[in-house]
Amino acid sequence: MSEDLLRITGLSTRFFTDEGQVNAVSDLDATVERGEVFGIVGESGSGKSVTALSIMDLVESPGEITAGSIEYRNADLAADVREDHPEAVDGEFVDLLGVTSSVRRSLRGTAFSMIFQDPESSFNPTLTIGEQIAEAVEVQRRASATPRLSRGVEYSFASLMASTVLGSKKFVTAESRERAIELLELVGIPDPVKRAEEYPHEYSGGMLQRAMIAQALAGEPDVLVADEPTTALDVTIQAQILDLLADLQEETGMTILLITHNLGVIARMCDRVGVMYAGEIVERGTLADVFDDHVHPYTEGLLGSVPDLERVGDRLRPIPGNVPSLLDDEMDDRCYFADRCPKAMDACLDHPPSYDARGEEHAARCVLAEMDYDESRALPEGYFGEGERPAADREAEPHGAEIEPDGAGGTRERGENE
Amino acid sequence: MISDRVKRNLTRTFRESMLPKLGLVLLVVIVVMAMFAPILATHDPTRTGYFHEEGGPYPPPGFEYTTTVASDGEIGDVEVTSTSEHLLGTNTVGQDVYSRFLYGARVSLLVSLFGVSLALLMGVPFGLVAGYYGGRIDDGLMRLADVMLAFPALVLALALIGVFGSQPIQVPDPIVLAGVADGMPESIPIPGSVTVVVALVTWVWFARVARGEALSIRNEEYVKAAKSFGTADWRILLKHVLPNSLTPIIVLATIQMAIIILIEASLAYLGFTGTTLSWGYEIETGQDVLRTRPWVAMVPGIGIVLAVISVNLLGDWFRDALDPNIEGSERGA
Amino acid sequence: MSMLKFLLRRTLQGVFVIWGVVTVLFGLRAVSPGDPASLMLGQGATQELVERVREVEGLNEPIYVQYADYLGSLVRGDLGYSWRSEREVEMMVLERVPATIELAVAATVIALLIAVPLGVVSATRRGTASDYGATLFSLLGISTPNFWLGLMLILVLGVWYGIPYPSLSGSGSVPIGVGFVDLPTGRRAVGFGEALMAIVQEGSFGEMGLWLKHITLPAITLGTYFTALITRLTRSGMIDEFGKPYVTATQSKGLPGVLVRYKHVLRNTMIPIITVLGLQMGTLMGGAVITETVFNWPGLGLRLIDALGVRDWPLMQGIILFIAIMFVTINIVVDALYTYLDPQVSVE
Ligand code: SF4
Repeated sequence: MSEDLLRITGLSTRFFTDEGQVNAVSDLDATVERGEVFGIVGESGSGKSVTALSIMDLVESPGEITAGSIEYRNADLAADVREDHPEAVDGEFVDLLGVTSSVRRSLRGTAFSMIFQDPESSFNPTLTIGEQIAEAVEVQRRASATPRLSRGVEYSFASLMASTVLGSKKFVTAESRERAIELLELVGIPDPVKRAEEYPHEYSGGMLQRAMIAQALAGEPDVLVADEPTTALDVTIQAQILDLLADLQEETGMTILLITHNLGVIARMCDRVGVMYAGEIVERGTLADVFDDHVHPYTEGLLGSVPDLERVGDRLRPIPGNVPSLLDDEMDDRCYFADRCPKAMDACLDHPPSYDARGEEHAARCVLAEMDYDESRALPEGYFGEGERPAADREAEPHGAEIEPDGAGGTRERGENE
Repeated sequence: MISDRVKRNLTRTFRESMLPKLGLVLLVVIVVMAMFAPILATHDPTRTGYFHEEGGPYPPPGFEYTTTVASDGEIGDVEVTSTSEHLLGTNTVGQDVYSRFLYGARVSLLVSLFGVSLALLMGVPFGLVAGYYGGRIDDGLMRLADVMLAFPALVLALALIGVFGSQPIQVPDPIVLAGVADGMPESIPIPGSVTVVVALVTWVWFARVARGEALSIRNEEYVKAAKSFGTADWRILLKHVLPNSLTPIIVLATIQMAIIILIEASLAYLGFTGTTLSWGYEIETGQDVLRTRPWVAMVPGIGIVLAVISVNLLGDWFRDALDPNIEGSERGA
Repeated sequence: MSMLKFLLRRTLQGVFVIWGVVTVLFGLRAVSPGDPASLMLGQGATQELVERVREVEGLNEPIYVQYADYLGSLVRGDLGYSWRSEREVEMMVLERVPATIELAVAATVIALLIAVPLGVVSATRRGTASDYGATLFSLLGISTPNFWLGLMLILVLGVWYGIPYPSLSGSGSVPIGVGFVDLPTGRRAVGFGEALMAIVQEGSFGEMGLWLKHITLPAITLGTYFTALITRLTRSGMIDEFGKPYVTATQSKGLPGVLVRYKHVLRNTMIPIITVLGLQMGTLMGGAVITETVFNWPGLGLRLIDALGVRDWPLMQGIILFIAIMFVTINIVVDALYTYLDPQVSVE
């Protein structure tokens, strides 16, 4: 077994919206090992994307990480920050939530980088692809030349203002441009010299996703966070992108945190899996643990509609019942899945305790982990009132069409546009 | 028509922000001022000669000044004091500033209201027809719009006044005729040609917006369906196209109303409206005595600013709530 | 399609618009009341003289002949003679152009210098006191008529706080702004070009100082509306832009916040604002007419008001035509700039 690279403990991310507090991520525990592909799977709105954004420190107002720790193993970083933040350092691990935001920002690109669901809207439409990738290279180039704690002060106001009007080539050097072209070549973009000069709207969706991967590789990151990397793409292109990611991982040995609602993607790519529901990881284990030996009825439900693993469909089949509300006011202190769970019992009305993050490899947040299903203790039909909607209702809205991530994008945008 | 969603958005935006409330309160105050001017006024706004006994106009409190007078062969400085009779003082010809302030609101609102209505009546039908039928009418409208937009609104208004002249219309005052307010003028002059001119200057904006809406609506399924049933075009325009284009037109109307208030004030300031009972004109008369009698120019200006702010705030409220995404438009001054 | 072709096509369109403007102006003059010959000669002219002038000026010809003549002379660059001063209209327009352009450019520069940073602060620190301040300022700015603003600036800065200002010398009956103009000639004390020449040739900065002193208040007066407008547009544009996914993606690369804000977000915000500014050039020119009147600034606007007062049609037509040509030209430039800055808009 290889070493842990990332230890997430008790992570909670909340959004404080006009409608109330939204518990996008609650008390989440996970460990990611160096060199593996760790998958997070769940329905839209289960908090997958917010988890990714929390790791990247990209959660924006009105969202906030309210509790927990994200420990990242990096000996250099630990040495750098030991003096200023002794309490955040634990051996080679550094708790990212215990250091300043400028330190966290210095990790973006070098330690963690991210690729996004919708490549078309994830590039600045008015700059060339080459420029944007070169920018990512340049940032890391400058960063490695400057001590961690004094970065980002070298941009004068006047040149920034000029950059809004002029083509603003000046924040990017020729070396970075060349590196950008190499990166484009690496991810299999034909004729990279020419394509580097093109704008995002001149690219196809699949090519853009390749370009985004190239951009994410610019800083040679330890962890690549891939948030639904194939959702917006055609089926044939999806496979190509997944192959590309697998190849790149093999070559560079980087760790991938793969976030998806697509069990097929999980089965194809991942070593270990966490299943998310209502902001919690409700079951985690190796691929085999989760697919063949699952405990949590939600995992069962996800897989249940899939007849066999070889023919895993490209989207989740809906489970009857409501997608859970993440509004704090509407969340009772019980198993959040209880209103949809076919095995709900009276014991489930207490919130099942979290498993030990560093404990057993295979764990589930469900009473069934401790006891067997007992029909005599089952909750009566209709216990949760009209919360249960007919399954047909759910089927009307395919998952792929839902706005993802509900917890992050949705709430954040509402906040931004007030 | 005004759908439930629109209503919900309106109420939500209204509740969330203080600004629409402020706008509404301001507008109500100004409308009340304008409507009941004869009752609220303390003096006939057109009567001259309210001077201090030493000869100068009355200042409002805080603006007392000294003037040099010669009496019995002696020259001396005399303090000109304010009086509760004339709360905002009197102007250079001795008219009550407060009463003229109220009547100014009347002129301003009447011109903008009639101006916008006229512009709506001209622009919306033209725009709807052009957008709905397309072809030559549409091309014609768009070219005309390009030409109109090449004129600055105020400059075009000035040129049109060069043609129409400045004809005031005497509008009888129902409140005074009903006998409720004695001693007030029975009719007030409204700059009639200016009202027409501002409509001629702004109608093209309405035509453009109505055209855009009609253009997008004419391809909707329900319009096609209505057509296939043999519904007459004018009925489709009236029953489907017009109601669906109302939202952006309303937003535009508020924007234009603010602009028209400013154009009217500017024209009156330049002396081209043919009337003297107007905030803009009042500022012009105050300009010459800016140093010694500053209130004469200050008071009416505050009226203009408040009126325009109130309309702008309502416009922002509508725009935020309805988000029709129309491009901005041009203002007069 | 190349940029050159695009420019050619837009220029052609512009020519058509100008032709429309010319036609409208001709139409207005044709339907306006009053006999041109009598207006030309002023009161007291004999009937005989009026008839002679009608004959010479072609006023007895059918209207379409007059229109053709008018177009013909415009194409030759002949704007005719002022009815009042009997000088060539071209000269009367051109000599006033620098003053108006200086004023308009100064106002735009002031507006951009203040509004963009203000909008950025407002958008990036939403809900703070500076945001509320900026919002209040922009609301007031778009709601204040600039002639009143000009007067209040003179009152507050000049009269009450005693900031020296040339227009404030003299007695109560002297028109405001008289200090700008050399009364006998009607010319400005100093133009920007002269002030620049003085620096270059004689190394003397006094003229530039005088020019600045003269132009500051009028430029602020004219520029306030634009400052307010651009502040609003920048604020709301940036807030919209911040909500777009590419901003998060750009941050995820590790770019410093300032780079994300300026190089990416502000740039993309300003691109559409440029178009709005082009369309608002009309407002700027309208505002210039009023501002010039308030400050007695000897530009095109002041001359237009003078011409209007005496119904000097050739002069009015000349000035308005010039303003329309400026508007059309600026909008062609703005369109070209827009296609250059936003790669998504093709020149097609
Ligand atoms: S805790 Fe109970 S309700 Fe929740 S998933 Fe397990 S069995 Fe179902």
